[in-house]
Amino acid sequence: MIRFLLRRIGQFIITFLAASFLLFAVTEFSPGTVASKILGPYAVSSQVDLLTEKLHLGDPLLLRYLRWLGIVAGVVENPLGDPAIGLGLSDPRGNRYVGNFGYSLMLKEPVVDVVGERIGYTALLTLLAILVIIPVSLAAGVAAGVNPGRPIDRVLSMGAVILTSLPEFVVAVALLLVGVVWLGLLPGTSPMTQGGRWPLSLQLVLPVGVLVIASASYVLRIVRASVADTMRKPYVRTALLKGLKRRDIILHHVLRNAMIPPITVILLQINWLLTGVVVVESIFAYPGVGSLLLQAALFGDIYLVQALTLLALLVAVGTQLIGDLCYLALDPKIKLG
Amino acid sequence: MMRTILRRFSRSPSALIGVTLIVAWGLVALLAPLIAPYDPSAIDFAAAADPHPSLAHWLGTDSSGRDVLSRLIWGARTTYIVVPLAVMSAFAAGILLGVPAGYFGGWFDALVSRLSDVILAFPALIIYIILITALGPSLLNIIIAVTLAYAPGVSRIARGITLALREQDYVAAAQARGESSLYIMFAEILPNARGPLIVDLCLRAGYTVILTGTLGFLGLGLPPPTPDWGGMVVESAHLLPIAWHMAVFPCVAIASLVIGCNLLADGLRKEGLK
Amino acid sequence: MTRPRDHDYLPILKRDLADGKVSRRSFLRTATLLGLSAASAYAFADKVTGVPSEAQAQDAKPKGGTLRISTTVYDVKSPAIASTTAHPLIYSQVVEYLTKTGADNVTRPHLLKSWEPSTDLKTWTLHLRDDVKWHSGRPFVADDVVWNLTRLLSDEVGSSVLGLMEGYLLNSVDTGKVDDKGKKIIRHELWDPKAIEKVDDKTVRLNLKAPQLAVPEHLFHYPAVMLYPEEKGVFGPGAIGTGAFTLKELNVSRNAVLEAKPGYWGEGPYLDRIEFIDVGGNEQAIVNALISGQVDGAFQILPDFYPLLKDNAALQYYQVTTADTSVVRMNLKHKPFDDAKVRQAFRLAIDPVKANQITFGQFSTPAEHHHVSPIHPDYAKLPEPQRDVEKAKALLAEAGYKDGVDVELVIQQNPPHHLRNATALTEMWKEAGIRAAIKVVPNPQYWDVWMTAPLGMTVWAHRPLGVMNLALAYRSNAAWNESAFANPEFDKLLDEAEAIPDPKARSARMADIEALMQREGPIVQTYWRNLISFYDKKVVGFAMHPTYMVFCNELAIKS
Repeated sequence: MIRFLLRRIGQFIITFLAASFLLFAVTEFSPGTVASKILGPYAVSSQVDLLTEKLHLGDPLLLRYLRWLGIVAGVVENPLGDPAIGLGLSDPRGNRYVGNFGYSLMLKEPVVDVVGERIGYTALLTLLAILVIIPVSLAAGVAAGVNPGRPIDRVLSMGAVILTSLPEFVVAVALLLVGVVWLGLLPGTSPMTQGGRWPLSLQLVLPVGVLVIASASYVLRIVRASVADTMRKPYVRTALLKGLKRRDIILHHVLRNAMIPPITVILLQINWLLTGVVVVESIFAYPGVGSLLLQAALFGDIYLVQALTLLALLVAVGTQLIGDLCYLALDPKIKLG
Repeated sequence: MMRTILRRFSRSPSALIGVTLIVAWGLVALLAPLIAPYDPSAIDFAAAADPHPSLAHWLGTDSSGRDVLSRLIWGARTTYIVVPLAVMSAFAAGILLGVPAGYFGGWFDALVSRLSDVILAFPALIIYIILITALGPSLLNIIIAVTLAYAPGVSRIARGITLALREQDYVAAAQARGESSLYIMFAEILPNARGPLIVDLCLRAGYTVILTGTLGFLGLGLPPPTPDWGGMVVESAHLLPIAWHMAVFPCVAIASLVIGCNLLADGLRKEGLK
Repeated sequence: MTRPRDHDYLPILKRDLADGKVSRRSFLRTATLLGLSAASAYAFADKVTGVPSEAQAQDAKPKGGTLRISTTVYDVKSPAIASTTAHPLIYSQVVEYLTKTGADNVTRPHLLKSWEPSTDLKTWTLHLRDDVKWHSGRPFVADDVVWNLTRLLSDEVGSSVLGLMEGYLLNSVDTGKVDDKGKKIIRHELWDPKAIEKVDDKTVRLNLKAPQLAVPEHLFHYPAVMLYPEEKGVFGPGAIGTGAFTLKELNVSRNAVLEAKPGYWGEGPYLDRIEFIDVGGNEQAIVNALISGQVDGAFQILPDFYPLLKDNAALQYYQVTTADTSVVRMNLKHKPFDDAKVRQAFRLAIDPVKANQITFGQFSTPAEHHHVSPIHPDYAKLPEPQRDVEKAKALLAEAGYKDGVDVELVIQQNPPHHLRNATALTEMWKEAGIRAAIKVVPNPQYWDVWMTAPLGMTVWAHRPLGVMNLALAYRSNAAWNESAFANPEFDKLLDEAEAIPDPKARSARMADIEALMQREGPIVQTYWRNLISFYDKKVVGFAMHPTYMVFCNELAIKS
């Protein structure tokens, strides 16, 4: 078990480094320089050149990547925060600490602070979505799965195929049209500011709703397939033939065994939710890290993009790891090789 | 052959509906120049003042005074160019990597698998956002991004099937005949692996429609004035309370096509299981 | 103390107003420029023309309350490198400008008591107000002005003020060194050590390299605020200024809180507190925030949303006609734009009225391809440009492009009306054989190519004088000359126009310049936009400003 964990963590770190270098290289394609992004459009070239020189931005890619790694690891001092450069950038933690992702070029604040302020909102959104997705998709999935081929199964399965087919932005437009334009019951955007007509709870309805609709139907299909599969297992048939109550069989035999695959799927679904989060946050002006990532990528804010992508990677790979562990814990048949 | 296919479809209503939707949109795309009432980028300066649906413009005009119906029809053509090219390219790359990886194993397999792991670790949309913002939105770059994001998944499936098939008797027979590895991989193994790959292809085609729509929606789609369903939505989503028709029709178009792809995949998979 | 001598031209100007030879607006603009106080100028104009100025004596404004305004909350640590008009919304309440251009487009002294240009417009004497104190209690003095101006003009600071004033205050110096890419390293220095001269504690003199009419307007350029020198150019919560408010809290992209500072030297403050709220980049979110009463006003509202808000009983509509525009500029370093015939063909293929209608509808006015607006006091009326597709084709053929040309028009993703404008232009160009592909790029990426792209659409903010835009964008080698336009005749006419204080004589010269722009110039320009916003009816004292400025010390809330 421990060897398995260590090996996975090792893979994890290698994946991380490879991914971060790829990212660093790709963001280099975007035209323009870090210096011109800091100074804005109306700086003349002599001003930009001077800053480029001070920040050593003319160095080769690999060197700059290693320097960036050094800054993140807290070994190298971040030159952007040097008061002598006069950009007014400062970090209360100083310019050298572990986890120093530098400054956001777009917001001119330490990346750690920018992300820290927003991550809670995204966590809230995702958590609420999962809290709705799990009971809804389990209930509907089981209802469909124990009645294979019956009308309830057909309706739910067909409905699920249709809903999984809808892109998040289409779901969002539909919900906006109904909830905001026609009924006027909900706010069209969710900036999560207080003091207006819309309490925070109402501001959360549409973003959570879109995520739930786009994701729950997928989990529903997995649950349904797994339950239907278990229903065909010999021991269930035997129990039925023995005359046990159908309800008891489902509760005691089917559900426990049928839940193993969906649990891993739900964990993997978190990765999938992250994609939805980018779209949903952008549509509803929700102040989370997803909309921030899009803005940062459009701006070419390489330090912020780097930090946010690594964060997404951490969540994605981390949930996979947990998914594997759950699978191991739940299914006694699997032995670690 | 044709008859078996028809019989199979008639047994699966969802596959039938799926195929109908895909073919219908395909016809729209093919016949766009004949059936579109207007040039998709022509501006009706008179209609710009009142963009709502009218006799002249059945689905109204967009915020630049262009006919929504015509843009929808030509948008189908855009979709039918981008999506097949991108998906084919991803499958070509995935199969070219995955089949040899499964067949030979060893260091090549290890390399392909590790690389796939790195890419698959990213949430897909993040790959697109980063690549497209860095490279700029264009047909080629969208194809590159889709290929990069999907090829690892395809290669994983292709590798898995190859791994199972290479122990089959007919593979052993071909090896005994002294056939080249290339022949065995692509003439013996690949045709027998087509079932799951075709189901995966339908699913990924659906995702790619979602994806190109989403990219368009995020402002990273094909450059204007190319009629692009996702782009049509983003240009008008903020006007929903004033002119809902601009955003709703392209949403319906995207949804119906993706539903078609998914229903077809669903039907094929069920048929495969029987 | 002796009264500063009136500029030689003032008596003539007063006579022309009385004779009806100059408009009221031109009079106000020029008289204040030449050092007459705005109050005196308005009083004189009222007396002569018999038109009373807008509600001079208003009811006493109520005191107290918090005002909440929606805007993008940027980082404002370094006002000198502010790059949008939303930046100063926050810091200009704390640190102030030497001058102030009002919503009426007239520039007045602000931290200055008055200014005096020499007859040749090459020496500007700036008199500081006596009653201005920093929040620290120290009086505001000439050394503060010299320190700030010198700092803004240095390469190290990176301020856009440098590009604005380089033409009359700086020299480019070749350091003789080259960078890694072999490019010459150019630095700037004051053209004369006495260019920014302290005369006494309350007087600063600017000695210019070339005549310049728009010095007071340039002193209101949004990064040009007077910072407290002891703070070394860094702004933030608690920073010391001369303004009516202090910054309490700043959360980038969330909100900023300011509190009234008692003892302000000027009008107000009436409010206790201002909060700037960032509801995200989404325009719909701003509208929602207004409707739901989450904010009392907005930095601006996209005209697209006007129908949603116009009938809202709680909201007051504000708008201002401005010289805010976007120009499609052709870069002369690239073919086919090196040929003036091609450039003219690009204009002839366009009907500005139609392009304007698609871009903004009722919220803008058609432009005439020369970047001088009818609201500029130095505007000269020329015949309206007519669309002539055949002539455009003929000109293209003459230039050697008888099969038309293929070009790529680069535009920014935001604001959305850029795409509408580009769509309208490309459609009309098509008929003349100009096949333009539109390339939409994220806004920051546009600023990486705005000086170099062959064909691009660039936003130009409102400036109070026509000559200001022309000097910034089209004079040979000007810092922001994005089209690489270099035309000796244009430069000569512009030099002359900039040295003429008389609006009649200047507008005659401007007619030549405008005609030259229409004939050979590097731009296709089809609209001037109005800026619009909505504020809660309880807010008093607001006026929409052509550069989005909000003077919070003048605002109050009715209960």
